[in-house]
Amino acid sequence: MIYGDKKSGVLVQGATGKQGEFHIGLMNAYAREVGGRGVVAGVTPGKGGKEVHGVPVYNTVKEAMREHDISASVIFVPAAAAADSIMEEAHAGIRTIVAITEHIPVHDTMKAIAYARMEGCSVIGPNCPGLLSPGEVKMGIMPAGLFLRGNVGVISRSGTLTYEVVDELTRAGIGQSTVVGIGGDPVIGQTFVDVLQRFEKDPQTKAVVLIGEVGGNLEEEGAKSTDLPVISYIAGISAPPDKRMGHAGAIVEGGEGDAGSKIARLRKLGVPVASRPSEIPAMVRDLFRGHC
Amino acid sequence: MKLREYEAKKILREYGIPVPAGFLIRSAAELPAHLTGLGENIVLKAQVDVGGRGKAGGIVMADRNNAVAMAQDLFKKEIKGLPVREVLAEQRLEIQHEYFLSITVDRSSRQPLLLFTESGGVDIEITAKEHPEAIRTVIANPLMRDIPPFMIRELVGTAPKEIGPVINKLYRVFLEKDALLAEINPLVTTPQGVIAADAKLIIDDNALGRQGFAVNRDLTDREREAEKHGFSYVELDGTIGVIGNGAGLTMSTLDLIGFYGGKAANFLDVGGGAESERVMHAVRLVGSVPSVKVIVVNLLGGITKCDEVAKGIIAAGIPQKVIVRLAGTNEAEGRALLSEKGYEMLDTMDLVVKKAVEVAA
Repeated sequence: MIYGDKKSGVLVQGATGKQGEFHIGLMNAYAREVGGRGVVAGVTPGKGGKEVHGVPVYNTVKEAMREHDISASVIFVPAAAAADSIMEEAHAGIRTIVAITEHIPVHDTMKAIAYARMEGCSVIGPNCPGLLSPGEVKMGIMPAGLFLRGNVGVISRSGTLTYEVVDELTRAGIGQSTVVGIGGDPVIGQTFVDVLQRFEKDPQTKAVVLIGEVGGNLEEEGAKSTDLPVISYIAGISAPPDKRMGHAGAIVEGGEGDAGSKIARLRKLGVPVASRPSEIPAMVRDLFRGHC
Repeated sequence: MKLREYEAKKILREYGIPVPAGFLIRSAAELPAHLTGLGENIVLKAQVDVGGRGKAGGIVMADRNNAVAMAQDLFKKEIKGLPVREVLAEQRLEIQHEYFLSITVDRSSRQPLLLFTESGGVDIEITAKEHPEAIRTVIANPLMRDIPPFMIRELVGTAPKEIGPVINKLYRVFLEKDALLAEINPLVTTPQGVIAADAKLIIDDNALGRQGFAVNRDLTDREREAEKHGFSYVELDGTIGVIGNGAGLTMSTLDLIGFYGGKAANFLDVGGGAESERVMHAVRLVGSVPSVKVIVVNLLGGITKCDEVAKGIIAAGIPQKVIVRLAGTNEAEGRALLSEKGYEMLDTMDLVVKKAVEVAA
């Protein structure tokens, strides 16, 4: 597993909101199932002293840090305040920050990520489903029922498409080490390169499925950077130029980052690219027959 | 959202970047009142939301005597299919040299990226392809409000020193206006000094509210209707309607339609945790597009519950047009509801898309 395990104490910002409350419940249900610590504290300014599913809520991250051993956080606060939450956590010394919030203005994200980098923190997201290491820890909103513990790492810019691929893998009996949704925005904290670096140091991970989308060239940069065996799938081959397909990051800009040329560049790097999600399990099996 | 040239230039002027004397007119009859402010040589520029307008006849050279007649002609034209409703009438510049200056968001470094070349103008894309070394770049720190002098020296090289302040002013525009792109092409030298002859500003859609824009002009009416319900919606030109949850899964469904030889009519992402009413609106919206022969509903329940989705599909009331694939949370309940009403359901993404392509053919 990467980024965290059973022993990780997780903080949730935006704990008393509808989303925060709902997902604290699900994250801690998973923690109970696997014997992990799960969410140990929540933060919502002005709501200090409350409890959400038995989890104490504080006014500031620093207050929560004084009372609990916290190594990671998950952010559910609305877009206008989310960048501030990232910086507050980085400043308080949280090392892994998962930002679920979507629609954060890009300039806010750029500043928050630059600041977090200065403080030595890793930001996953924003606009992401978080991560899940089966049998260890869930930080975010991924539906835990689909996962199976194993040796394949998954990195994705999408949410539900990730679940689709995880479901396919699990049905084929191929387990996952950690599944990371890095987010669908044009500017994100941890990119494919960063997550792949972690997977390289993770003895559990033997191969990686890289799920990309149109826009940018982060998939190719990732594939180029690693020695791990990689299988890829890129969504958006039918995306017209200059139209935004849901994710702010999934836009073909001036002929750059279209799926066709992205796939061609990946294949040139020797990465097998699936033409549809249902092909992925067989490709993973072909590549590592007997290893996973 | 892309601003029009006159809007972008107005912002540049507010930030102290010199722009040509100019006036926006909505008919040729408005022009005579402004002629004294424009001098002898005039350029008329159609304000249409499309690239390459110069080569398409949207930029006309005129002089004081024929400007009104030329403006009349320009207002009658269509530029790449778009009617000309607004024209920017500007003083024509005495250009000595053209430069290219652009600030954008760099996905790789996650920081602002500044680009500059000593040969700007209409063929910048060709320069970028054939002489990429001619484009100088620097990456700025988004936590700093200014571009430090050494970065400006790296960027402009031997170009005139007056360009330095323009770079810092444009960087302020980029930061303060939530721009994804702030570009001056060409930035020109004239006997009167450095002037931004053209300007392009794209504002982050996620910041339109705080930048004071009520609506996103880049959307069609149906796209705007979809936005009200919280859907991401893009219209395409095929016959197979698509409704999915999550951008990636929906995009992937579109791709699969292409893989099996069909053509998608739209992209519609209902978003996370969709309730029955939203699903109903989604099915009705896509069903209302005349070219749609069949609608693929591909939803993967996580936070989204399949029984809620099923109720929404049924409430939309167009069973003859809908083929469904549902998986995940409360799958059995959702399937039971739909089969009771005779809806066609298939188990996987591949199967549901294949079927839709057959129906649409």
